[in-house]
Amino acid sequence: MQRRAPLEGVRVADFTWVVAGPVATRILADQGAEVIKIERKIEGADALGPRRTGLQGDINRSKRSVAINMATAQGVELARRLVAKSDIVIDNFSARVMKQWGMDYESLTRVKSDIICISMSGFGHSGPRANYVSYGPTLQALAGFTLMMASRRGEPAGYGYSYADMAGGYSGALAALFALWHRKKTGRGQFIDLSQFESLAAVIGPALLDSSVNERSQSPQATSMPEGPAAPHGVYRCRSLAEDDDRWLALSVRTHSEWRAFVNAIGSPAWAVEPKFASLFLRMRNRTELDAHVERWTRAHDAVKAMELLQRHGVAAGLVANGADLCARNPQLEARGFWMPVTLPDGSALRVTGVPFRLSDAPLPKARCTPDVGDDNDYVLGEVLGLTRGERDALAAAGAIWQ
Amino acid sequence: MSALAGLRVLDLTDRRAALCGKLFADMGADVILVEPPDGADSRRIGPFLDDRPHRDRSLFFWNYNLNKRSLTLDLSHERGIELLRSLAGSADVVIESFAPGYMERVGLGWADLHRLNPSLVLCSISPFGQSGPWRDYKADDLVLTALGGMIYVNGFPEEAPVRPLGLQAYHSGAYYGAIATMCALLARERDGVGQWVDVSILEATASAVEHVAPSYMSDGVVQQRRGSLHWTRYFRVGRCRDGYVMHCTLGDWTSLVEWVAGDGAAQELTGPQWEEVTYRKERAERLFDILDQWVRPYFRDELLARAQALRIPYASVQAPEELLDDEQLLSRRFFFEVEHPELGRKLRYPGAPYMFSATAGKVYRRPPLLGEHTGEILRDELGLSPDELAALSVQGVI
Repeated sequence: MQRRAPLEGVRVADFTWVVAGPVATRILADQGAEVIKIERKIEGADALGPRRTGLQGDINRSKRSVAINMATAQGVELARRLVAKSDIVIDNFSARVMKQWGMDYESLTRVKSDIICISMSGFGHSGPRANYVSYGPTLQALAGFTLMMASRRGEPAGYGYSYADMAGGYSGALAALFALWHRKKTGRGQFIDLSQFESLAAVIGPALLDSSVNERSQSPQATSMPEGPAAPHGVYRCRSLAEDDDRWLALSVRTHSEWRAFVNAIGSPAWAVEPKFASLFLRMRNRTELDAHVERWTRAHDAVKAMELLQRHGVAAGLVANGADLCARNPQLEARGFWMPVTLPDGSALRVTGVPFRLSDAPLPKARCTPDVGDDNDYVLGEVLGLTRGERDALAAAGAIWQ
Repeated sequence: MSALAGLRVLDLTDRRAALCGKLFADMGADVILVEPPDGADSRRIGPFLDDRPHRDRSLFFWNYNLNKRSLTLDLSHERGIELLRSLAGSADVVIESFAPGYMERVGLGWADLHRLNPSLVLCSISPFGQSGPWRDYKADDLVLTALGGMIYVNGFPEEAPVRPLGLQAYHSGAYYGAIATMCALLARERDGVGQWVDVSILEATASAVEHVAPSYMSDGVVQQRRGSLHWTRYFRVGRCRDGYVMHCTLGDWTSLVEWVAGDGAAQELTGPQWEEVTYRKERAERLFDILDQWVRPYFRDELLARAQALRIPYASVQAPEELLDDEQLLSRRFFFEVEHPELGRKLRYPGAPYMFSATAGKVYRRPPLLGEHTGEILRDELGLSPDELAALSVQGVI
């Protein structure tokens, strides 16, 4: 049997932009869906950064792009014709935008009765903040991440990036797949109202339950061991690597056998066999002293070598990877072929984020370089919508498309 | 009808992947949590109800196991494996998070299960995946966030990296596990056969970091920690009189500067060059230092109310518990009450981040007590008699 990608034959009309929406459609594109970005062509530098490389290149690879001007009636009509030939319509605008274009779910069911529409707005389509503008960092601040992710001095730091967009992205892709399943079973499409804010609230459940049930305020200390007590546990500074003194090891020791393995691995120093560290209870009680001992050891060791030594003894340890460790020095990701190569138009090679799972009976995902805005006009307008060259020229002259 | 009505999932996972099955259960699948006779490991993880540790009082367990049924089965016992194989014969999905190789050793490997039920999808979620030199490495969520690049860039430059709130390596693995499983199920509807899904939590974690890999891969830049300054340089935390706010310099610059200038705090920001977004980006540290001085005398809610009125996307830096009273979440009924008859209490749970128009019928079942559904599952699904159930119980299999 010829193996085919799971989503081959599924077409997605993709109105998303910035990050969260494109992450969702990246996941669908990697599994074989034909994702067509409907985009504006803006002269001059793109505020989102370079198009084919960096973050935008990473999250928009393997998609197609058609340049349609949604500010014109003819542009909207073209988009509706594309919807008629699509399975899924997805956007991450605030609630009012698609409606203004007449592209809301109700209207689109008249174009295609079993269409699946997914809106990934910041706050959802209902409620007092339905039309608020939001960004990943503002959502993370609202959802409790920024305050709880504090330095040891208690200063809020939060994420250095927008996890909100990644969580919104994987939630959006999953919702699309649930809806495809439902359509396969019932023949019916539907509208999915996803809130990126709620995508964050949905991944801090234990803290929210603790507050709602035990009526407790959360603090950075209280949320620092979400997987239960462990000691030693945390990140410990390691020896410098050449000029780089920002090297750290993450370490977690829970069970008695893990503690014994840890003590063995570091050569059974005298402090480690003292009675005050003999049980998890005592190690938790004497954590400050324990951490000082552990960090004295890690400071004398290279983070990678310490990780390998501890792992040989069965201890959960891993270096705190920076960009180079992650992308250029991770033998596990290399061995599994995680990073995917794409070829840029100038012939140079770039590696992009891969797919975090393998399917035993599907072809390995391959990535295509991110298209520039309108690169696939010929394919989308010509092959998919069947417009002649003359019709397209007329639409361009009328300002409905950019060629 | 719920979106996944009729789908049967056997959930053999521990805490590392417990969220995956819940994503299916929340959409109406029948998810059977298969626990060892002394309970899933997550029942021993806090917080606990009223801070009293007990396997039927773990809020951690409840969070991840709402809407599932519980079946106890001893998989170190031959009869336990046989019963599981029988259940797998009629299931759509098995999710597991054992150490790689364990399932094969006990006769539940992909080859065995596929022979038994060719349409079954097996989803294996492990820290590093089923292959590669780190396959047998040990890891918890902290170690995976570290290795996956999720924490190096969080925190202040001279201090230790800061881990996320919540188990976000596990959660990324669980979401990608559910995504992969749905892909395999959709392919099964077309091709007629199931597949083995191999999810690496390390890879899922690396996929859930925004800028670290693209910056390195495209520009050779190793991104650093910058305190609360977001890598795009448009956001930083500022301190008010009674709390923190998230500054945002995207949005309507003119309104913001007029306001700041009206308070006599604008310094050089009234210059026309600051209207340029990229100019603001390049001078972000100076810009936020000025804005920090400006917000200091304000009360947080007073500042945010005015920002909202001007459509300036500032946000409150809230504590998680503030979400319980958040008017947006309340309006959308994000939280819902679950009755716990065994406690005589109703508890308030967080919900799912999406509303499906055609499949509103959520059937919510409180998290199961240990082994609560063992009898009904073995009786109804496998036709075991009361005597047989009693014998299994005496043998310690269930």
